[in-house]
Amino acid sequence: MAELLWILLGLAVGGGAGFSLGRRRTAGGPAPGPAAGDPHLHSVSRLTGSLAPVWSAQIVSSRTQMETAVGTLTERFGEIVENLDTVLASSAGALDEGGAGTFDRSRERLGGVVGTLDDALATKRQTVAELRTLLAFNDELAHMSGEVTAIAAQTNLLALNASIEAARIGRAGAAFGVVADEVRQLADRALGTSERMAEKVGRVESTISALLSHAEQTAEHENEAVAGANAEVQAVLDDLQTVVSGFRNSSADLERAAVGIRGDISDSLVNLQFQDRVCQVLEHLQASIDRLPVVVSDAAERARTDAPPIDPDAVLGEMEASYTMAEEVDSHRSKSGATVRESEITFF
Amino acid sequence: MGKTILVVDDSASVRQVVSIALKGAGYDVLVGTDGKDALAKLDGRRVHLIISDVNMPNMDGIQFVTEAKKLAAYKFTPIIMLTTESQEDKKRQAQAAGAKAWVTKPFQPEQMLAAVSKLIAP
Repeated sequence: MAELLWILLGLAVGGGAGFSLGRRRTAGGPAPGPAAGDPHLHSVSRLTGSLAPVWSAQIVSSRTQMETAVGTLTERFGEIVENLDTVLASSAGALDEGGAGTFDRSRERLGGVVGTLDDALATKRQTVAELRTLLAFNDELAHMSGEVTAIAAQTNLLALNASIEAARIGRAGAAFGVVADEVRQLADRALGTSERMAEKVGRVESTISALLSHAEQTAEHENEAVAGANAEVQAVLDDLQTVVSGFRNSSADLERAAVGIRGDISDSLVNLQFQDRVCQVLEHLQASIDRLPVVVSDAAERARTDAPPIDPDAVLGEMEASYTMAEEVDSHRSKSGATVRESEITFF
Repeated sequence: MGKTILVVDDSASVRQVVSIALKGAGYDVLVGTDGKDALAKLDGRRVHLIISDVNMPNMDGIQFVTEAKKLAAYKFTPIIMLTTESQEDKKRQAQAAGAKAWVTKPFQPEQMLAAVSKLIAP
């Protein structure tokens, strides 16, 4: 398009093959060409006047489409980056608060439950120990009861001998015989009391033994239950830890992937800066195209009025002066695509 | 809460690139689509730095800087011009209007962040 534009411009300013717009030429210039109102001149003028708005409209359309598409694309990329940032932040929070926190809290609570069971079992063991002590005391009581029985029997035997001796003495031993009888009766009562005591001690022993046996059996069961509970709790904690570790690992994988995607998108966005530059180039090109009919018209007017022809270098210089980017100037001068320059930072 | 930076550019892609780089570095970002829009966005808000394009519709970057510097709240706010333009006279105009730096596009986010942190502490 640019090539055609400049061919037309060349035609308009009189440098084209066989066309010259001025009626008179300065000395040394090209041979006189068609006069003003020349159909060639008229057709070139009409063509440029018609072509420029068409080209301009095509450029505007392309620019608008590109701006809209790149704008939408960058907006979507921006949203993706923001969403990734949100996901990364919440994922980090979940790892800090959720994973380790839940596991530690679960371990503490389950440990508390098992501790309560351990305490109950310790109380039970203490009860069993106290029952055994009580049984030992009962044995001592049984032994003491036996001793009382033995003493009563000996006392009874002694009182019996005293009664026999008192009877052998006769009247003089009558009073002593009464005392001996009383002692024997006391011995009998003591013997009866000790026998009842032995019976009670025996029943107490049976009761304590039964309690002890029951307590020991219960303690044994509870011991097994607590051991089982401990094993279950440990298994649950192990499972939970496996889940938490898996969650952590997958979260870390997701986080790495999200960070990578974020970086890739950011890099892509950096590359999308081309749109800003291309739009400016197209804007300047559009201005140049819009200028073409004016230049051609000016050339025609100069031809009609015998004024000097337009200066192509001046037109090109004016065009160059309108550029804002260094590579636009480079392309203009070299007539080939220029490399985009590196960013420069100037501090004032 | 991070420091706030106003990014003014008529190009959505440039606004996004700058915003993402700044947010990633912990800054809060306000955006304006041209000088006029940016002046409306300022509206007395606390802004620690402004990054502005030069060539924009409605109000260009140089005029925006001039107008912003007339406002007492932004008289000493550092301004970076971020532009495709490389003309020396434009640079001088920006400097005269009160800009502190001139960065040409296309830029790398690291370069922009380095320029920002040179003008305001992160």
